Amino acid sequence: MSVDHLHAARAAGDDAAFLRYARLHLGDGNETAGRAEIDKAYVAAIKVLLDVPPTDYARVRATVAECDTATLAHLFLYTHLELVRRTSAWIHDGNL
Amino acid sequence: MALVQRALERRGLPTVSVSVARDVTSACLAPRAVFVPFMMGHHFGVPGSATLQRAIVRAALEFIAEAKLSGEIRDLPYTWNEARRGAYG
Amino acid sequence: MGTFEPMAQLRPGLWETVNDRYPGSMIRKSDAVPLATPRVPLRDARVCFVSSAGVQPVGSLPFDVAHPVGDFSFRSVPSHASVADLEIHQLKYPTAGARRDLNVIFPIERLRELVAEGTIGGLAPNFFSFIGYNMDPIRFETLFAEELASAVEREAPDIVLLAPA
Repeated sequence: MSVDHLHAARAAGDDAAFLRYARLHLGDGNETAGRAEIDKAYVAAIKVLLDVPPTDYARVRATVAECDTATLAHLFLYTHLELVRRTSAWIHDGNL
Repeated sequence: MALVQRALERRGLPTVSVSVARDVTSACLAPRAVFVPFMMGHHFGVPGSATLQRAIVRAALEFIAEAKLSGEIRDLPYTWNEARRGAYG
Repeated sequence: MGTFEPMAQLRPGLWETVNDRYPGSMIRKSDAVPLATPRVPLRDARVCFVSSAGVQPVGSLPFDVAHPVGDFSFRSVPSHASVADLEIHQLKYPTAGARRDLNVIFPIERLRELVAEGTIGGLAPNFFSFIGYNMDPIRFETLFAEELASAVEREAPDIVLLAPA
């Protein structure tokens, strides 16, 4: 939905509209697909950490500490897409 | 894209767009457009079809001097099935 | 040649479909912009090309496909660029054909051929590209479209070809 709709939703305290939008955005316009995409990113994140592989925790801390909130929010969405991209189940081929 | 096209035309630059979505192009009142009934993302045809790709570019550019009314959309005489078959070269 | 089937949009009702999915994102205009008059015949015209297909030179900052509102930036693409030096960053249209032959959405080689055969006079030094997905049509129209139009104008083209992706 357009930013006009989201501004109205924010003014009305309608967080459900933002949830719907998150699913639409991450599902390329398909809310059901978007819900599955969100789940997929969490599953991918936890699976990869299951065996406690080496990670650069200090870098995570430093990066997050350096980020303003807007950049952090951007990084959050970017990271979601990147985690999904690294799974074998990439659905974003443009066939809306 | 039609909004960019309209901004250019308002500055005195003649423009033409190539559309696969006649309804979208029409709703936005793009100043001039040619329409092809092709798959999204395949406005100039299919891979390897240089003759068809060139013909669509040429037809679009020729339409700039031929359009009479702002918002006019010219249908180009191609079909997606024939394009996919390689019928146009 | 097959039978000409006029008007048959391959994906009918696209405006409605996109607007159902992203309410308020699609626009309607009722004021027609007066047509500009070509200053030179086509054979002498310098052509610029503008694409919303997310095509960009390898090594330029990739378009932001993660941002929920859209990426309001554009890239210039040298009109002499080799197809091998270009890549696509866009998720919202089918790129299967373009990944095999970029000219199906970004006909840079065809435009060069039209110069070589004398159909058009020449090409602007730079073409332009952005990503079509955005959720703020007002920002797009009042800021982005004007900024991009200024960049195109600086290339001093006689005419402009556009391909919405």
